Amino acid sequence: MTDGQNPGSAEITAPPAGAEIPTSSSMPHGNATLASEAPTSDALPNSQDPGLSVPMRTTDLSCYFGKHKAVEDISLAFPEKTVTALIGPSGCGKSTFLRSLNRMHELVPGAYNTGTVLLHDQDVYAKDTDPVAVRRAVGMVFQRPNPFPTKSIADNIWSGPKFNRVKGGKAERDETVERTLRGAGLWDEVKNRLHAPAGGLSGGQQQRLCIARALAVEPDVLLMDEPCSALDPQSTLRIEDLIRELKDRVTIVIVTHNMQQAARVSDYTGFITIENEGEPGRLIETGLTREVFGNPTHPRTEAYVTGRFG
Amino acid sequence: MLGRQFPNPLRRTGASVAADRTYSALAVGAAAIAVIFVGYLIWQTVAQTGEVWTTFGVWGFLTGTEWVPTPAQGDALFGALPFIYGTLMTSILALIVAVPAAIGIALATVVLLPKKLRGVVGGMINLLAAVPSVIFGLWGVTVLVPFLKPALEWLADNFGGLSIFGWHPFAGPVTSGSYLISALVLAIMVLPIITAIVREVLLTVPRDQQEAAYALGSTRWEMVRHSMLPWARSGIVGASALGLGRAVGETIAIALLLGNTPGIFTPLVGPGSTLASIIALQTGEASGLQLSALTALAVVLFVLAFAINAVARGIVRRSEGGKSSKGGFVSRAVTGISGLFDRGGKDAAAESRTVSPEATAPPPPPPREPAVITGSASLSRSRRVRSGLGEGVVWFSLAFGMVPLILVIWQMLYLGLPAISGSFFTELPPTDPSSFSGGISNALMGTLILMGIATIIAAPLGILTALFIRDVAKPGTWSGKVGSAVGFVVDILLGVPSIVVGLIVYLGVVIVVGHFSAWAGGLALAIIMFPVVVRASDEVLALVPQAQKEAAMALGAPKWRTTMAVVLPAALPGIITGVLLGVARAGGETAPLLFTSLGNQFFSTDLNEPISAIPQLIYQRTIQVSTPASLQLAWGAALVLVAIIFILNLGGALISRRSRSLEAR
Repeated sequence: MTDGQNPGSAEITAPPAGAEIPTSSSMPHGNATLASEAPTSDALPNSQDPGLSVPMRTTDLSCYFGKHKAVEDISLAFPEKTVTALIGPSGCGKSTFLRSLNRMHELVPGAYNTGTVLLHDQDVYAKDTDPVAVRRAVGMVFQRPNPFPTKSIADNIWSGPKFNRVKGGKAERDETVERTLRGAGLWDEVKNRLHAPAGGLSGGQQQRLCIARALAVEPDVLLMDEPCSALDPQSTLRIEDLIRELKDRVTIVIVTHNMQQAARVSDYTGFITIENEGEPGRLIETGLTREVFGNPTHPRTEAYVTGRFG
Repeated sequence: MLGRQFPNPLRRTGASVAADRTYSALAVGAAAIAVIFVGYLIWQTVAQTGEVWTTFGVWGFLTGTEWVPTPAQGDALFGALPFIYGTLMTSILALIVAVPAAIGIALATVVLLPKKLRGVVGGMINLLAAVPSVIFGLWGVTVLVPFLKPALEWLADNFGGLSIFGWHPFAGPVTSGSYLISALVLAIMVLPIITAIVREVLLTVPRDQQEAAYALGSTRWEMVRHSMLPWARSGIVGASALGLGRAVGETIAIALLLGNTPGIFTPLVGPGSTLASIIALQTGEASGLQLSALTALAVVLFVLAFAINAVARGIVRRSEGGKSSKGGFVSRAVTGISGLFDRGGKDAAAESRTVSPEATAPPPPPPREPAVITGSASLSRSRRVRSGLGEGVVWFSLAFGMVPLILVIWQMLYLGLPAISGSFFTELPPTDPSSFSGGISNALMGTLILMGIATIIAAPLGILTALFIRDVAKPGTWSGKVGSAVGFVVDILLGVPSIVVGLIVYLGVVIVVGHFSAWAGGLALAIIMFPVVVRASDEVLALVPQAQKEAAMALGAPKWRTTMAVVLPAALPGIITGVLLGVARAGGETAPLLFTSLGNQFFSTDLNEPISAIPQLIYQRTIQVSTPASLQLAWGAALVLVAIIFILNLGGALISRRSRSLEAR
């Protein structure tokens, strides 16, 4: 592990010791339970504290589309039971970075990565690593809800275990469907039509179904790629509540365009941007969300979070 | 670093690797089998032509004007020029008739007809494409020739002396087989494909282009003339060239209607011969140098069709200008899947993209003269006349396309229905040509068996090959290049005239095995069906949303599972449609069966023996047309054949339509 300091322009800052975590009073949609399990200043994204469990971290991860370098040398750690938000202007590569964490990036023709991604200290990009196993352990929710439209709601939930050849009986199946739908806060709305096609749900319901579907595989890390950008404000708030509830169980990394959203849901924030035309996206600043928004150290970050560019 | 001492749970397991490899291997294997087998047939065919080149030389054969297989004295002479001439002359005459008609019909179905009628007319024109060649031959010989011969005689009497650089196009004697009537029938046959492409091109004319013309005070015709047609010009040229590519390969109708007398610059009211028709008529009895010469003619025909198709595709693709992200409409039109996959979307798009003047004028105007409403006083007489004339031409061409269709269908019902009875399906054709009893049991069984063999071979190979091109091969890597190469081979196969397929299976299989068989016939039909299945499957596979695939991959589904659980179910209706359309097209073919399954006057289910087929039975009856009884049998068989093809097409359309409504939910 590096200490997080990149020789390039990416400057990873550690907030001062004892920095306060966001509390419900400082966040409009804060959750009361947040304080009890909030990370301390020891648990910084780039911390090497051996006592802290960090399911996933990247070291100098760069992402390419053929010859074009989209993301350069990003090193980040995602501690357990936290939400990390990645913010930045459109096209800065934050989604590409996210898709590199579960090897979805390489599905684009010509796309590849350099650097390392460690999942429980195992190299995601090692030669003998099965990308399928990585995606099983690292779930993903996409920008637009993508349930399998002709499959039923229950079948959508069970599709992940089915892909992974889990031989569950009806009882286990029903239990998983109910548990994950409850987890996604969708159970009460759909419990009477579990066998109706998923295509009939509203956009917000579909997205929660997709979250439930991802949870059914019991991933260690859940990646969310602008999960609310295709949803109305009401559904957005619903998903944000859900994210705060879920972080107890799964480490979450969320890419968002919406800075209020990042402030509302995340514990840590990383700011990625392209400084000059044609350059790759780089990590400019990272730290506790409150610090990044309230007291950014880098002028670019300040300009972005105050809405002066991007 | 922790965790290294434990086995890596992310490690690739043998089973997971094996399953993905098996899937890839199946797809690669299918593509390889198809390409290698086609390569083998081509090699056999080219090897067969050696004798001709050494005897006459390439140039000597291509420019030779004599075709004397069995001379009274001296050596046999073989030259390709009369057939090349005959092929080009019939095809170009056909295009002169078909292109204006196709433009007219396309315009009618895009702009001029009331919206409710557009789909109906478009569907009927597609129906024309489903009528097999041999039925047009039968109709031409028994109905059109007797009807039009007096007109040709009138031409010969009044214009017989006309001379163009010494060529007397209308000089008698008038014969039953003639260029003019052949070309007319050929025009009807290539009309649907040209119409389909012109229609698609016209639908790409942007709405603002049309509105601009209307806003300047154009009549509807002036809008068409100055806004739509210029925009669609290169597409129309490309569509015509594709029609030409189809026309040069047309075999059976020409073999029945052109009179089979090779000649160069002979009168158009007299007979001629084409590359395809001479191969169809002489290959069965040919051997040695004559077979070699016929094979060389097939090579010439293939090269001709390939060159025309390549140029046409280039033109149409350029006119598409990358506007359409999926597939492109050339392959859709060529495979006959045009209008099936996109009908819902396309028509909706058509309505949004084409502006009808009704939309701009509040009261519903009479459909024939909408422009008059907007300013009757200011519209000059000459403009009104010209617009009227323009629209008149369009209505005339619409009639030209519809009338033969209606006539053929009416004839088929009028003469064929009386033949249909229970025994028609269970009895053999009568040996006595004047007997009205008997049936087509042998031909019906034969056609079903041949279609079955073709489907069993072509459907799995075609679907797997499409999966290889679209799902397994990765763009940007060597496998992507191989995938494109396989796609190219498939496109070439799509343009191979069916008579050439028949000949190469004859050379590569029948001669090698030593006898005609149902297997060989089914194989020939499979080669015709294969590219249709590949292209249709490829089209729908490309439409499976990437988001669906990513959803499955992100849940940890291996590649093969993603394909089985997400890609194939989404694409399945379209793939089934493609298979049904492919088998419908193959089932109506006569030319590939002439020297593969040969025909059989008895009932047979032995796949190693020659077998009968309905198209072939119709062909035989047309050649030996003698009695009203045998004619009735032929029309009855035609009715059954068209019913089979129609049901397959309808099934395909319904399946693809139903799946679309599911997706729309």
